[in-house]
Order: sequence, then C-alpha cells, then structure tokens
Amino acid sequence: MKKLFIALVASIFSFSAMAGGHAEWWKKAGAPYAGTVLQGVAENTPPGQFAGEVLAKDFEALTGIKVQLENTSWDSMYDKAIKDMEANSGIYDFVYIEQDIVYDYLNRDFLVNITEGLANNPDLQAPGVSLDDFTTFIDYFKDGSGDVFGVPMEAFIKVYLYRKDLFEAADAKASFRAQYGYGLSPATSFEQYRDNAEFFTHYCADNGMECWGTTVQGHTGHPASTYEFLESIGPSFGLYNWGVNMDSYQSCVENGGQLNGGRAKAALNFWTQLLPFAPPEALQSTWSEVGASFAAGRAAQGWVYGENAAWIATDAEKSAVVGNVGVMLPPTAPGVMTQAASGNGYIGYFDGGAYGIPHSSKNKEATMLWLQYVAQNEVQADWAIAGGRITHKSTYADPKVMAVDEQADGYFTLMRDTGFLYAGAPPFPFHGAGRAAIDPFIYKALAGEMTPEEALDGACVALDKVMGDLGYQG
Amino acid sequence: MFSNNRTGWLLLSPTIFILILVGLVPFFYVLYVGFFKWNPLAVDPSMQFEGFGYNYRQLIFDEVFLSSIWRSIRFAVVTLFFELSLGFLLALSLLSSFPLKSFFRGVHTLPLVIAPIVVGSIFKLFTVQGLGPLPHFLKDFFGYTLNYGLNADQAFWMIVIMDIWHWTPFVTLTLLAGLSALPQDPYESAKIDGANNFQIFIYITIPMMVPVLIVVIFIRLMDSLKIVDEVWMLTGGGPGYATRFTGIHIWKEVFEKRFYGFGSAMSILYLYITIVICWLLYSVMVSRGKSED
Repeated sequence: MKKLFIALVASIFSFSAMAGGHAEWWKKAGAPYAGTVLQGVAENTPPGQFAGEVLAKDFEALTGIKVQLENTSWDSMYDKAIKDMEANSGIYDFVYIEQDIVYDYLNRDFLVNITEGLANNPDLQAPGVSLDDFTTFIDYFKDGSGDVFGVPMEAFIKVYLYRKDLFEAADAKASFRAQYGYGLSPATSFEQYRDNAEFFTHYCADNGMECWGTTVQGHTGHPASTYEFLESIGPSFGLYNWGVNMDSYQSCVENGGQLNGGRAKAALNFWTQLLPFAPPEALQSTWSEVGASFAAGRAAQGWVYGENAAWIATDAEKSAVVGNVGVMLPPTAPGVMTQAASGNGYIGYFDGGAYGIPHSSKNKEATMLWLQYVAQNEVQADWAIAGGRITHKSTYADPKVMAVDEQADGYFTLMRDTGFLYAGAPPFPFHGAGRAAIDPFIYKALAGEMTPEEALDGACVALDKVMGDLGYQG
Repeated sequence: MFSNNRTGWLLLSPTIFILILVGLVPFFYVLYVGFFKWNPLAVDPSMQFEGFGYNYRQLIFDEVFLSSIWRSIRFAVVTLFFELSLGFLLALSLLSSFPLKSFFRGVHTLPLVIAPIVVGSIFKLFTVQGLGPLPHFLKDFFGYTLNYGLNADQAFWMIVIMDIWHWTPFVTLTLLAGLSALPQDPYESAKIDGANNFQIFIYITIPMMVPVLIVVIFIRLMDSLKIVDEVWMLTGGGPGYATRFTGIHIWKEVFEKRFYGFGSAMSILYLYITIVICWLLYSVMVSRGKSED
C-alpha cells in the first residue's frame, strides 16, 4: 500500500515535471480533444521509440489525447507518409520529416504552417514552450519567411567512433608501431584510418576476436550506402552538395559540377578500399546494422550516426562495448576543416528530423498540442539520453545529459561545440529522385562491378539527366 | 427467361461493380497517366501532355528497363522449371504411401501461408553475411563464400532458391489434386498392355495432366514476373542491378524518383509483355495438346 502511494505521488510529480509545471494548463487545453486518437508515422530510431513509448503515454495521461506512433522502417515510413499526403487521405495527423526531405515537402505544400497555426489559435499556445529554445537545427524546417513547418524531435551528427580498449591495448600499440612505423591512435587522416582498419582486421583475427578494422555502411541495394558516400565520406574529402553546381544544377565536371571530380573519386576509392577491412555484413548494412555491428564489438572504428552513439556507449543491455567507446570528429582532407569553419563547406552530415502536420490531418489542433508537448524543455534530457539527440540549447547543460556525456566520451559536448562544422542535406526539392539516380552506381562500385571512376562518371550523367528532366537546368 | 437473366445480373452486379472499381478504373487511370510527363518534384509539377508516344519512346531506349524485363523473364523461366519439376516429383511421391506422409504433407505446405515479405526476412536472417548461419556453415564445411551483397550471380540464385522454397508447395498441392482426380482405367489398360512406369508417366499421366499444368504454369509465370516483396527484403534489387526485376524497377521509378507518367507507361508496357508471353505459351501448349489428340 505504501509502495502504491509512493508510486502514485511519484507519477503525479513526474507528469507535473514533464508538463513543465503547467499540468493544469495541459489538462484544460486537452479537455476538448480528450479521446481523440492521433496517428503518426516515423522512422524506427531510438528517439522515435522514446516518443512512442514514453512521451505519448505521458501526454495521454495528462490530456486524454491518445498518440499512436507507428515507428517503422525508413523506406516504409516515407512510403506511407508521402502516399497519405499525396492522396490527401488524412490517415496521419503527424509525420516524421527527415531534414533532407523537408525541401520536397515544402515545395509540394504538404505541411501545415505551425507558426501561423499557433498565432491563429492563442488558446493552443502552451505556456513555457518557445520555438526559440531550439538549436539552429530548427532553421532547416522554416520557410523563407521564417515560419516553422516542423518541430525538431531529433538532431545529431555523424561522428567517428572508435574502440578505446583496442586502441589502448599495449600489444596492439607495439605491433602497430612495428608494422607502420608510427604510433597507433584514432585516425585524423585518411591514410591513418586505412592503416588502422587494416591493422585491426589482422589483429582481431590473430587474437581470435570477431572484429574488423572499420564499419562500412555499404548496403548494395539500399540508399544508406549512397548517403554514407554523399553525406559523410564525400564531404570529409571536400565534396559538397553531392558535387552539384548550385547555380546550373549540373554535377559532371565538364559541366561545372564535382560529382566525378578528383575529390569525389578519391573519396569513393578510399571508401571502397575499406571493404576488405569491414565486417562481412558491411555490404548488407544500413545505418541500423552499422550501429548494431559496432555495439556488438565487430568494428574497431567507423563513421556512426549520433543517434546510436549514446546507447552504444552507455546501454549495457544492448551494447557489448560500454565503457570502451571513444568519440571524435572524423578525419578530413587538408583544407576541409578550414572551409567548414568559415561556412564554405562541411565535414559531414547534421542529421535529424521533425514532426510536422500534414494538411490532410483531421486533428490539427490536438496535434499542435502534442507537438508542443514534445517541444518542452522539460522532456528533452531523458529523450537525449535515450536517443543521443539534442534539439534544445538548454539540454546540453542538464546534469543527467552531462553525466551521460561523460560516459559517452563527450559526444554531446562534441555536438555542441563542433555542430557548426556539419550541415544538413543540400536544399534539393528533387532529393529522392536525384539520390535514386546515383544509387545503382554506388552499389556497383561497392560490389566491384565498376571502378570508382566509372561509377562516378556514370552517376553524374544519371543525376544530370534527372535534374534536366525535372526542369532544374533552365 | 428475361426475369431469370435480370436476377442473374442483379446478383452479379456487386461483383461487376467491384471489378470495375478496383480493376478497370485503376487500369484506365494508369493508361491515362502514362501519356503524360508528370513528376511532382519537377519545377513544373503539373501533368504535361507531350504526345501519346512520349513515355513509350523513352522506354524503348531505356536500357535499365529492358534489362530488367530480360532479368524477370529469365527468373520466371528458371523458377518455373524448378518449381514444376520439384512440384511434380513431390506430388507423385505424395500419391504413394510412406510413414509420416500426413505430417510431411502438412509441413511442406507451411511456406505457402507465409507472407512474401516475411519469407524475405527469414532468408535474410539465414543468409546475411557475418550473422546468418548459412554463410557460416558454407564457409566452414565447404570453403564457399556466400555474399550476395557482393556477388551478382549469388544474389540472383538466392532469389531463385527463395522463390522455389516459397512456391513449390503450391505447385505440389495443385498437381496432387490433379493427379488424385485422374481416372484409373487408362493406367489399368496400360499395365495390362505391359507399359512400364516411365511410359505410363510420359504417355498417360502427362497428357491427362495438361489442363492442370496449364493452370499452374500460368499462375506461377504471372506471379514470378511480378515478384517484388521478397526481393525487396533480401537484396533491395542489388547488388547494382543484379536483382532489379521489373516490379522493383517500376517501384523505384514511381515511388523513389516520382516519375509517375514514365512509371505508368512502364507498367502498361510490362503488362502487355506479360500478356503476350502468356498468350504465346497458351497457344503453344494448346496447339501441342490438339496435335497430340
């Protein structure tokens, strides 16, 4: 009985805290919509799971509005959301908008203007919630006039993860120095990265360990591989905006683009040459499998999405490398860091997404409440810990987040301090079509059916054709 | 008589209505869209009519599309051959008595009740490099490296094996039903005349089974030509174009690239090709059946 009472009091305090001390307002605001069921669709990521399993339940307990969040695969999420919005069928009240697809959605006028919606409905404006609390990541979800069309629910950078225990092993250090003539350490250059990868592949095999030198997000039938090349490897070599000339929308060198230029070819050569040092599942790995492989201790280093970094480093139930994860910026080619710092380039992908309301939603007002609920400062810390994501400025200073940051080798601090070196996807309304044109060439390069040079020569022609067909080349 | 007809039409009308709604209307809409240049991601996202043949002319020179058709036909022929051979063999086996026959009959039909996407998942779990048991055992016992993310031939044959595993039970069941319904008189006569088992199979069983075989071949042929789900799950159409069958290619053109007009034309052309293949096959089989009569 005593335990029940304590649990009851604790849950009341918990809801009150989650509601930013405005529990009464949330109850009152939710009352007209009590019993409403909001349907949402999002990618099944750690932050999405937290929203569906924790925040949605808290929100329902507070307002009586039920949130059914369908967390599904990336492909399926897009398929469902886009078909629903195109057909105007109103199945979903809110959809996940990945940063790279937002230009497509805005271009096609799929989304409700949240700034305008809240301004027109002052009764729906939650106390203590301000869009100004967000980091600059929210800017990706604004239109030209600064109105917000999506409430960020995750934002993270793709970092370089490495196994501290392997890099610090005395025998590994000695053996590496003997073989390569310099000291073993996490990579700051591509040559060093390759040497590390080669070394640990042999080191693991020699020591009977199921591990390899590097991760490679190299699925030969899934866009994940194209994304790793265009958004991580390419930029770190100085290949920006997919190599597309943003004035002429041409990507081949002979037409003023860079997709088949020297930097792009060097990047693809470097990346494909890592395959012998990657776990055997690399060619069937998307971002999820890369995270899982690293967490299982199957790679010594790799480019890993930040949404996975926190749990890999801290969650002993899911990860076999807790306490042994190091986090750094990925290696970059000479000059790239300077360009990124001056705003003329970027070193990798600032990934993330937001929840937006389709015009077809049948419960826009209730959904506005839900989006503001997840936008509160008070819910951010636990969400950050569960999903390795930070969307609010104040979250970095939360004691719980700082504690995890320490365990995760300063991942959150790295994101706060160096996030400006990263960038979201280029503002292409034709994002999906363009990427799909490039996909087969990346697959073929990974499978060894084409050399990297042939692949990029073919990819730029295919991309230029798509941009031409769609009328972007004037 | 008129009254009877009217009642018949009245009873049929819900079916006809549904057929028109879910069959003919979408078909004519796709046919209509196929005459337009239409991509909502374009600078001009509206439907633009550029002549009836615009998309079809492009298709004729689209190497990826043409190679996907060839790949799909090759896949259909290969799977059909193996499924028919295995299915016939299993159906004949199930006619005879052996211990645990009912158990085997039940177990071997299990793949049929599994959704294609789940079949893809099962095969992926079994065969994915590094984690699946099959590559592990093949490497350990035979020194064979299975990595269909890298090897185009392996990817194609892995899809073939998956399809055979999934659909052979259907062929077996259908042929078993046909075999069970065959009259016994010709068999008794043949035995009295001294025919051996092989002669009985070739000259009595096969000819009498032709109608059933035609049905099975058509169903499996059409199914194989439009395969998508399992491939999507296992290889995603890769590596490169190795398993990009026409169904997957159409999906990518329509839902990834959003070329609605082009994709619609592709669908219509592929439907036409499928009908032509089936018609040719039907003509050959029927004319052959008549000549044997």
